Amino acid sequence: MTKLTDNRSSEADNPGWIEWATGLVSAGLVIAMITWVTWEALTAETKPPEFSISVTNREMVEGGYRVTFDIANRSAQTASAVVVRGEILDGGNVAEDAEVTFDYVPAQSQARGAIFFSRDPGQAEMRVRPVGYTTP
Amino acid sequence: MAGVAVRDDARADREFRRFVLGLGRGAAGAMLFGIPMLMTMELWALGFTIDRFRLLLMLVVNIPMLVVLADLIGFERTTTWQQALRDATIAYGLGIVMSAAIMMLLGILKADMPLSEILGKTAIQAIPASIGAMLGRSQLGGDDDEGDEPGDGSQDDAVPDQMSTHYVQELFLMAVGALFLNLNVAPTEEIILISYRMTPWHSLAAICASIAIMHAFVYAVAFKGTHQIPDGIPWWHAFLRFTLPGYVIAMAISVYVLWTFGRLDDVAFTQILMSTIVLSFPGAIGAAAARLIL
Repeated sequence: MTKLTDNRSSEADNPGWIEWATGLVSAGLVIAMITWVTWEALTAETKPPEFSISVTNREMVEGGYRVTFDIANRSAQTASAVVVRGEILDGGNVAEDAEVTFDYVPAQSQARGAIFFSRDPGQAEMRVRPVGYTTP
Repeated sequence: MAGVAVRDDARADREFRRFVLGLGRGAAGAMLFGIPMLMTMELWALGFTIDRFRLLLMLVVNIPMLVVLADLIGFERTTTWQQALRDATIAYGLGIVMSAAIMMLLGILKADMPLSEILGKTAIQAIPASIGAMLGRSQLGGDDDEGDEPGDGSQDDAVPDQMSTHYVQELFLMAVGALFLNLNVAPTEEIILISYRMTPWHSLAAICASIAIMHAFVYAVAFKGTHQIPDGIPWWHAFLRFTLPGYVIAMAISVYVLWTFGRLDDVAFTQILMSTIVLSFPGAIGAAAARLIL
């Protein structure tokens, strides 16, 4: 403890080069980070969230059919409570639909999810699309 | 001869009582410092969702950390690495036992749960609880010396005299402090929610505030154990040598904890940076506090 009189605090030590080096490297890192965030702040776009969905896998599972997909948010704004609906279309009519909600799809990031259908979409047209979100 | 035997008995008895007292303080520390995490819903869930390799890594890294911590502030005035190792083991064990016991008491652990869930929940809680056990012994105690009575521990904290005179030790203590506060808040959803709500301008302010608070905590506000900057040395010497590295350490620990809890998976760099900045705010306070308290 530095309050002890027989014990000098480290600030009183003669600082070696290693302390200055650590300090300088740290200062560099902090300045780089501040620069990056400032740049982000200045160039930030306020575009609303934009989603793109790509189906990555379809497979039979017990009691149904699973469709796995990635949802990417390309904008710089995070979306929360993102509802994604999958529909199997049969000649223009919706034959079956299923829904899933993502807690968050962060800005410029991806999230993964899956929906279940009771039947094999097979050759029928399938549509997976976001239907709504909230801002966090 | 008989007299010597009696004295040895009395001495052994006192040693034993001191050891049990130490265990009690460790258990109290594990409870005191562990309770916020034991009552955090997200940590229970993490007990079974956390990536097992990341959990393993954290559990393993905790061992050398406890040993070094034991060497600095341990259960007893440790003089050898064997003693530090023993103290670290006791602290880890207390952390595991206390976490499991409290979670059973609260109905978080139940007998019909799968073994892997019970193990996962206990393991993840044992890390902060073991740090708590170590701190409990050194902070709640204070009568390590032979013949000391409890209550007069004003200058015989379990802190060796050369403590905090070494730069690397100082950085290590900051890392422990940051880790401890990070473990408290990192599992909660609030951390990422806050980072989503903050604009880059908010995070710039958060960086500056974290660094300023860190520096002020140690050098400006006169807490017990406040470090003195000797006359004639400009303030920025300490700022550059201690505060800035401390903040970088707090950030590194934040990244590590967020990664361990799976908060960074599939997330863009900017978002990683944002949640790290958010988590570094409590981390910086923890790091600064560790320099003062430990």
